[in-house]
Amino acid sequence: MDFERVWLPWIYLYGAGGVLFAAGLVLVLRTGACDPRRPRDRRWIRILVGGYLGYALLHLALILAALASAAGEAGP
Amino acid sequence: MRPFLLLQHGPPVPAGDAAGAAASNPVFWAILLGYFGMVLAFGAWFARFNRTTQDFFFGGRRFSWWLITISIVATGVGSHSFNKYSGMGFRHGFSSTMAYMNDWFFMPLFLFGWLPIVYFMGIQSIPEYFERRFNRLTRILATLSILVYMLGYIGIGFLTMARTLAPVLAPHGWSQAGLIWLLAGVAGVYITFGGQTAVIFTDLLQGLLLLFAGLLLVVLGLDWLGGLDVFWNALPAEFKLPLADFREPSEFNFVGIFWQDAIAGSIGFLFLNQGLIMRFLACRSVQEGRKAAAFNVLVALPLAAVAVSGAGWIGRAISVTRPDLLPPDTPADDVFTRVASIVSSPAGFGFFVAAVTAALMSTVDTLVNAVAAVAINDVYRPILRGRTDRHYLRAAMLLSALATLTGVAAAFFFARFENLYVAHGVFHATATPPLVTVVFLGIFWRRFTTPAAVAVFLAGPFLMLLGNAFPETLIGPLSHGIALPEDPEGTPYKYIRALYNLLACFGVGIGLSLVTRPRPETEVQGLTLRTLEAARRLFKGGEPNDAAGERLRRRFAVDPALPPSSVRAAAADQERLAARPGDLVYVCDARWWLGGLRSTHAWLRDQGEEPPAGVLHLSPDLLQSGRFLPERELTVEKEL
Repeated sequence: MDFERVWLPWIYLYGAGGVLFAAGLVLVLRTGACDPRRPRDRRWIRILVGGYLGYALLHLALILAALASAAGEAGP
Repeated sequence: MRPFLLLQHGPPVPAGDAAGAAASNPVFWAILLGYFGMVLAFGAWFARFNRTTQDFFFGGRRFSWWLITISIVATGVGSHSFNKYSGMGFRHGFSSTMAYMNDWFFMPLFLFGWLPIVYFMGIQSIPEYFERRFNRLTRILATLSILVYMLGYIGIGFLTMARTLAPVLAPHGWSQAGLIWLLAGVAGVYITFGGQTAVIFTDLLQGLLLLFAGLLLVVLGLDWLGGLDVFWNALPAEFKLPLADFREPSEFNFVGIFWQDAIAGSIGFLFLNQGLIMRFLACRSVQEGRKAAAFNVLVALPLAAVAVSGAGWIGRAISVTRPDLLPPDTPADDVFTRVASIVSSPAGFGFFVAAVTAALMSTVDTLVNAVAAVAINDVYRPILRGRTDRHYLRAAMLLSALATLTGVAAAFFFARFENLYVAHGVFHATATPPLVTVVFLGIFWRRFTTPAAVAVFLAGPFLMLLGNAFPETLIGPLSHGIALPEDPEGTPYKYIRALYNLLACFGVGIGLSLVTRPRPETEVQGLTLRTLEAARRLFKGGEPNDAAGERLRRRFAVDPALPPSSVRAAAADQERLAARPGDLVYVCDARWWLGGLRSTHAWLRDQGEEPPAGVLHLSPDLLQSGRFLPERELTVEKEL
């Protein structure tokens, strides 16, 4: 399994998707729609960033599990 | 001992016989008829809660996040999802989950942009936003696009379901037409009389049912195979990767699905789905809507991905270990049915059929309610102005029935002319990008102008059709190296064309906005991200109070001296609520598991007599609007 099969989709998903996510977050912060001075909004910022990282780590873990499985198939 | 005795598998049943065997079993009929009976009973029960159009379309804006999030899952998982994603899972492995697990990127803009705008501005339909942000012409264009799409989709839903049930029920004399009428009858009755409240509660039931059924099928499959180890070791390593190959094959590749689903699909789902918007408007507050959306994407959708794909993964493992039972070349559309028949008993098969039926019902009910909302708000009310709310409520019920009948007519059309089914798909693909572009730029770019919005509706589809006619020239440069399909009948750049469509529409919108004049900011107060604070003020009718307060549990008494929609709390309670007279509060039956069914919003006042400690005073009308029971305690908390 080569780079394009394994890693490029993950990098693209969380790279291009991450740019859109970050742009959205910056926009709502700069316009004051999300105001970190409100405790409730601060909690939401943590959830948003945590959700992004959580999904990225979940996909990463699944890729690593598949690679471990491939190594097992190849044998010693 | 194995769990779920009813669903234990017996000797392997050939898939072709499974449907007939299931329909001969009385337990199958008990499950299926019990399901239909329960759905109808829900509709009858919740009809009593509809007193206004706000109740009928938005459930009175009173519900808790958990109720909304499960009902959203039921809406999102369509009748075709089990067949489609099981087939995808069987062929492509764990990457069949991609469509369910790539919706997080637009959450900041949805949670802090679109959701508060529609909620605080009281926008009842997507086309209404178009008129308020732009002009009447854009509203008409949006209304036409959305109505044609949704009515067609209702028809496709009925037809898909009738075709799914036909192998099971045809031996008992049910024709396809009869099945369409049966399904439309059940769905039409409970939606027409029950409205959004019935939709939410039946979708709660149906969402839990379809999640449970899908996950149960995985558990039964693992049990049938001999455990997780056997399953895991039977699958090839590449099958276990969660994301597809970057650009191959042409009909299922990562980069195409990213642009078609994660970007265009996510914006369409979060920002343009009238049914979904109405569901969020049924939440008791923006905060609850945010919780529902976040929980849905973070927890419910990954679970749903496993539920709808799992049969495919189990099927692949079976095809490796027992190819005599499930050959590797099994058609993708048959995988769900065949796996269900292998790992469960004929009677248990009925349970899975009920789950697939639930998936249909929960999608169609939302669409019917949404069609009625658009028809009332964007067609009927603008033509017949100044009638009483009771008049509009009756019209809404009538239009729900009419939407169901139109869906039935569409189903019969689609059944006779397969190319209409394809045409509906093409219409959706052509109508969605302009809507996505206009709503997205409208919310997030103050400079976006009305002429540019109209141009996107008119020039956008033209450019997309041009891309359709010359795919290699126009879409090819954006294809990320995806090859054209080998089959000359295949659709070139099936998924990645979404990138071209979006660029074409956004290009028209941005280009024309730069040379035309935007509306003054004073005219779009509350309708753009930058003016959101104005929306909060307009909603409350005063300065919002964001100080954090407590939720209090209190007995209540009625005080006739209070003006309508008002409560009064003891001075000490006001302090604990961090609320002042004039603030908006939420009053709810203290039983959390009702999900807000008995609750209402009210204004905190200092008129009338101050209540004693432990008691909340309500104005007389709140007893009816909140559906409160005299002996029950209430909780009260400040909203804004």
